[in-house]
Amino acid sequence: MSVHDDHHPSAWGPHDWSHGAPHNSWSPFIMSVGIGIFLFSVAGVYRWGEMIDAGSIALVFAGLAIVMFGLAVFWRQDMSFDGSYEPKATGTPFRGIDIRKVSVWIFLMSEMMVFTSLFSTYMRYRFGIESCESVFESGQWVEGTSVTCFEPAGHLIASSWFHIAPGAINTFALIVSSFTVVQALRYAKKVDLDHKVRTKLVTRYLGATTVLAILFLTLKMIEWFIGFPLPEFLAEYNHGDTTIKSLYAEGYLINADSYQHHYYDTAYLADHGHGISHDTELYAMMESGTHSGGQMMANIRVSASTFYVTTGTHGVHVLGGIIGLMYMTFKASRGGYTPENAVSIEYFGLYWHFVDLIWVIVFPFFYLY
Amino acid sequence: MNFIGLMVLTLIEVVAVGFHLPDERIFIFSNYTLMILTVVAIPKFIMIALIFMHLYGEEDSGILTVTALFPSFFIIIMILFIGLTHPEATTGLPAWCRPGTY
Repeated sequence: MSVHDDHHPSAWGPHDWSHGAPHNSWSPFIMSVGIGIFLFSVAGVYRWGEMIDAGSIALVFAGLAIVMFGLAVFWRQDMSFDGSYEPKATGTPFRGIDIRKVSVWIFLMSEMMVFTSLFSTYMRYRFGIESCESVFESGQWVEGTSVTCFEPAGHLIASSWFHIAPGAINTFALIVSSFTVVQALRYAKKVDLDHKVRTKLVTRYLGATTVLAILFLTLKMIEWFIGFPLPEFLAEYNHGDTTIKSLYAEGYLINADSYQHHYYDTAYLADHGHGISHDTELYAMMESGTHSGGQMMANIRVSASTFYVTTGTHGVHVLGGIIGLMYMTFKASRGGYTPENAVSIEYFGLYWHFVDLIWVIVFPFFYLY
Repeated sequence: MNFIGLMVLTLIEVVAVGFHLPDERIFIFSNYTLMILTVVAIPKFIMIALIFMHLYGEEDSGILTVTALFPSFFIIIMILFIGLTHPEATTGLPAWCRPGTY
């Protein structure tokens, strides 16, 4: 037994850090159980927007309460950290590297697998199911009967600069927030800085990161559910409409089996001067009188599901980051970061950059293409 | 510098979509927009991983890069052998996996 083991470590915290690193913590186990109960019960509460089991709500809150308790245990342990000890890995191949750093990387790689499965699902369906646009142009549809096709969210989002705006601002917000985390780490690590100045700067940069992360989720909610108004003078660039509709208002929903949009309405296209391309089969069929035109109705459940599940999973990661950032900003405001324990910001930064990294893929392929 | 580079690349992505480029096949891409988005996403991904996530220039960068690349094998399997099994991907899917069957 080494001298560091002789301090009766507590799995509930606070740790006696002056005697070495903590050896155990119930926190991850408690939070895993809480998340498990939450996910298991939340799946039984709603189906297609209707409450199917009110009894599960109690379990949802029980799961959340257990998660909060696990976080409280974690905070109690972490707040006692005086930065005097950072455990190193002793085994090959990570010998000499901070254990926490290796842990974060392994966690991130498991996260990468989660997102890869979502991306590969998206790719399979995107390339495997004929797009609604080509089904419409092929004329292989009859008004009043739903056809199954793939309608990428990007078709709605990338339809105008106004629709792209929330996603584009979010992309810049995430990149700037990655930069502010780097700045927070930089100042926390600076040895030749007065502690008060360091506290102020680290708090400021972590606070800015928090604000940007909240902005990200706010804009996502606007894009999904709320929409936003346009000034009168910009309406002419939006077909005379003074509102940018949310995806919800556009009917882009996971249960949309009879999705209708003016993109797929021959009368609307003719009225608005777009018409139908003369190269299409639909045009030829309408010219020869074998197709009467009208509005195509589509089952877009698969495309909407892949969009919401992937971007929603990313959004949940941002939400997790916000919880972590709020705590870190609070800790920083109390002077909790010094050059000795600044690595904590670095480890959070790894997670946050990963969230940014995923968005680098999600944004172009789910929002723009 | 890395930050500015990322901002510029993101701007290129947004502009590429906003300006409705020709809808013609180019190399393996179905249109110009997809090609630009893919080509721009790669350096963005690398810049964040190498610079922001310190996979370049630090003592432990080598082994951590190997750790980061470890899932690549599984990712390649997922993307190449599951994600891109078209043509006829939907008709080749088992019945329970086809759109409309829930």
